[in-house]
Amino acid sequence: MESVKIKQLLEAYFEGTTTLAEEKLLQDYFNNKRVADDLTQYQPIFAGLKAAKSERSTRTFALPESKPRSNKAWWYSIAAMLVVAFGVGSFYLSQPNYSQEEKEALAAFEKSKQAMMLLSENLNKGTEQLTLVGQFGKTKNKIFE
Amino acid sequence: MEKNEFITLIMPFKDKLYRLAKRILISKDEAEDAVQEVFLKLWNGKQNIENYKNPEAFAITMTKNYCLDRLKSKQASNLKIVHNNYQTSENIEKKIEANDGVEIVFKIMETLPEQQRIVLQLRDVEQFEFSEIAQMLDSNETAIRVALSRARKTVRDAMIKNYNYGVS
Repeated sequence: MESVKIKQLLEAYFEGTTTLAEEKLLQDYFNNKRVADDLTQYQPIFAGLKAAKSERSTRTFALPESKPRSNKAWWYSIAAMLVVAFGVGSFYLSQPNYSQEEKEALAAFEKSKQAMMLLSENLNKGTEQLTLVGQFGKTKNKIFE
Repeated sequence: MEKNEFITLIMPFKDKLYRLAKRILISKDEAEDAVQEVFLKLWNGKQNIENYKNPEAFAITMTKNYCLDRLKSKQASNLKIVHNNYQTSENIEKKIEANDGVEIVFKIMETLPEQQRIVLQLRDVEQFEFSEIAQMLDSNETAIRVALSRARKTVRDAMIKNYNYGVS
């Protein structure tokens, strides 16, 4: 009785019109039951499909460590920041660094230098005038001798 | 998405992806390489997979596409022919003796056109619904049924031929 139904299912199976439940019936019949003699030729198909499902890979599939990549970028940015900071820092350090007191002293020095220059300029003007006076004396002596 | 979360999402169908890859590429090593590659792709695009309604279907589509691409580049470099010649020359007869019908079915499946192989794998081995397969292969149910029917009949006819040889 069963083999009649199975034959009908087989026909539908090869036309691609069986449902998953019906295909399960076929699977079950050919793999677990005593198969009628005139149907044994189909048995390997279902045994093969069943065997195909039990295939497994023994390899373990590894995922990339996602962190190293971002970590690396992170470290790169840290390194870049350090380089920039070092550059800027050393630039500042290379500039003379005066304290408030030293700055005042320096300003005072500049001011007194200016004052001295002014003084010496005027002094030079004075000596120029003095040579004129000297010339006057010489001429007067020539005349009155 | 965290790594553990990703693994719990993907691992349940790792074997399905492997079997599909092996059905298409035939070689075990290449199938494993393909699965590894698909895993990396999925991991790199993990933001996308969360948005997909069905990550399994998405992964299967990706595996299928990747394997077909591999096959194309392999055919371009003629590797496949060499590989097939080697496979059939000495191994097949021993295996047939050792494991009666099952190995023959495997060998027959290898001779099917790729599309039929994929459909047969997804339906008769992994037992997906036609609607799911249509979605995975970006096709329609009628086309899937036709391809499946052809694949099943080819396997049947080749089996019966083989069976009759054995009997007579």
